[in-house]
Amino acid sequence: MAGSALRRLMAEYKQLTINPPEGIIAGPVNEENFFEWEALITGPEGTCFEGGIFPTKLVFPPDYPLSPPKMQFMCEMFHPNIYADGRVCISILHAPGDDPMGYESSAERWSPVQSVEKILLSVVSMLAEPNDESGANVDAAKMWRENREEFNKIAERIVRKTLGIPAVTQV
Amino acid sequence: MMVIMRNLSITILSLVLTTIVIGNAYYQKKQFFPSVIYITKSNPSMAILYIQAFILVILMGKLMRKVFFGELRPVELEHLMERSWYAVTETCLAFTVFRDDFSPKFVALFTLLLFLKSFHWLAEERVDFMERSPVISMLFHIRIISLLVVLGALDLNFVSHAYQSTLTKGASVQLVFGFEYAILLTIILNIVIKYTLHSTDLHRELPWEHKAVFLLYTELIMGFIKVVLYVLFVFIMIRIYTLPLFAFRPMYYTVRAFKKAFNDVIMSRRAIRNMNTLYPDATPEELAAADNVCIICREEMHAGVASKKLPCNHIFHTSCLRSWFQRQQTCPTCRLNILRTPVNTQQNPLPQQRVRDQQHHQQQPNFPWTRDATNQQNLNNAQNATTNNGASIPGPSTTLPPNVTLPENFQFFCPPFPHIPFNLAPPMPPFENLSDEELRRLESQTREGLEARVRCLQNIQTLLDVSVVMLQQYCAAAAVGQQQNSGSSDIPSTKENVPIPKENVPSPSTSNSSPHENSTNLGNHSCIKEDKNTDPNSSTNFTSAQQLSESGKSSTPLNDEMQNLTREQELARQRRLEMFDNVKHPSS
Ligand SMILES: [Zn+2]
Ligand SMILES: [Zn+2]
Repeated sequence: MAGSALRRLMAEYKQLTINPPEGIIAGPVNEENFFEWEALITGPEGTCFEGGIFPTKLVFPPDYPLSPPKMQFMCEMFHPNIYADGRVCISILHAPGDDPMGYESSAERWSPVQSVEKILLSVVSMLAEPNDESGANVDAAKMWRENREEFNKIAERIVRKTLGIPAVTQV
Repeated sequence: MMVIMRNLSITILSLVLTTIVIGNAYYQKKQFFPSVIYITKSNPSMAILYIQAFILVILMGKLMRKVFFGELRPVELEHLMERSWYAVTETCLAFTVFRDDFSPKFVALFTLLLFLKSFHWLAEERVDFMERSPVISMLFHIRIISLLVVLGALDLNFVSHAYQSTLTKGASVQLVFGFEYAILLTIILNIVIKYTLHSTDLHRELPWEHKAVFLLYTELIMGFIKVVLYVLFVFIMIRIYTLPLFAFRPMYYTVRAFKKAFNDVIMSRRAIRNMNTLYPDATPEELAAADNVCIICREEMHAGVASKKLPCNHIFHTSCLRSWFQRQQTCPTCRLNILRTPVNTQQNPLPQQRVRDQQHHQQQPNFPWTRDATNQQNLNNAQNATTNNGASIPGPSTTLPPNVTLPENFQFFCPPFPHIPFNLAPPMPPFENLSDEELRRLESQTREGLEARVRCLQNIQTLLDVSVVMLQQYCAAAAVGQQQNSGSSDIPSTKENVPIPKENVPSPSTSNSSPHENSTNLGNHSCIKEDKNTDPNSSTNFTSAQQLSESGKSSTPLNDEMQNLTREQELARQRRLEMFDNVKHPSS
């Protein structure tokens, strides 16, 4: 019998393949290593990230699901809850006890009840509604709060970049 | 590609230079021994030969790597580089201690040590990877077994050599080698044990419950042996030479690993004790009644594999639960703190009762006590039901101030599971609400009784604080209720496994009042969105969700419905998808 982490990841992969959530494709980078996944996330429509297709990487710890995976955007991102290097900062990816931002109650933290699908859906909703309180990217949080127009422009440029369309000078 | 070209050219250059050196010597001296003497006398020639030897070692290493490991994974390569870097630094430090013994032979021995070390690291990493690899080929087993045999034999040989040398010639640099190879030997032993455990596990049909325990104790014992070795080594070194600075970093990590292993064992023992003493095994009936998927491993729970039921009625595999309890002592599903839950679950009404209680109220839109403020009996009952359970905060039905009048058809948000707002400690019940059973416990002379009394006193203050927070919550909830009445009331979120009232209460950390930004909870955004949404689709979906729960109610008890995790997740997923749709077609 294979390791429990592996079996659970396989089960989740199967579930995601049979019943994929809309706008999300996720799976292991290669079938020999189930502990590294890539996922494509479609920017939620009606938001400034609409239409973008964002490649992300998920790295699972050997003791998954007891510990949360790490998630990173593999493209340029400008978002209050995403670090400059692409790492995602949302509460359900933090194990209770480690609290980089200092104001998350344990109810929102990682527990085995969470799953890849839930993480990805949370990230989609994070794209739609940034939480400018826990600022992984302070500049983005500030701009989101104070200069939404400028923020939208940057987001649009990023969306175009993910699609391989050159930025339009006149919008 | 560039790297390969460069390596290749260096190798060829070195080979050409060596050929020139040897060829030149032989050309000049014509005979073997004079040529050898000629080369050893010439420093540049020797330098070239050393470089050549070094390159040969690297090539040899690459060959062995190909034979025993095949292609290295990027992570393995990264770790190898990192550890080699530290090892080289430490070797340089060791040179400073033994500068008198410094000789080419000495350097060669250290190179060999480093070389063998790297194979130990790789073997360790490979065996750890066994557990994470979906397919283990026959080749893998052959490679690992032969590698372990070779490395083990080499280590043993070097240890005995160092031992003999120290006995006959007295303390020398061989002391360091002996010690280093002894450490490597423990690593080999550790790998062998792990490999055996993993292989046994791979050939089993059912999950092996005790594997984790074996691994834990292996880690502990190996850690202990290593710590003893390091202490011994440092002691001997200080007596004979000086403080062995080069051994400090690995020693520190070894001690840390041992401490962690020790903690893990303690935590694990505690978790096992808790589970054995506090929680009953799930009966086959319970397993059948629930949709029996263990939320930790997402596998079915059947009678063959041991499962436990927590005080909150959530059921998990015993082995899954044990490994989780090593991290945290909470229920994975509802986060009930199991250490704070009273030992004897028999005499305490379970949360399910409370949930049923709430559900009961939810079914009748006219709250009895909003009409009749003197309905104190009902209030007290509800209060008992919740506060007796140590870990849960009184639900909405408990401390509702009698003078708060709610709108006519106000539909209450009831979190189906207990949650702890703002991390407050659970309040103790006021004395007049205590049952006789509870009072007897308070009065008892046992340690438990004493603790109960102290806790009671401590929590009286907390109780006051909580009631203030509660009042704020209800005011906010009532306000939202009014809002909801003007819009379409959307109830499916009451079945969501998240504390809904919290979403509606202005969080202390939030200064923003915009409905889209007032959430501190990224993971649960969807609920806010939905609550505010007036999309007709969501209400049709709501009816189906309600029907679902209605039908579930008729066949199984409500609490079973509540713990029907998969369905709950399914609902949550549907809701999130729905939210996704709503985002796509924003309602004007
Ligand atoms: Zn399980
Ligand atoms: Zn629970």
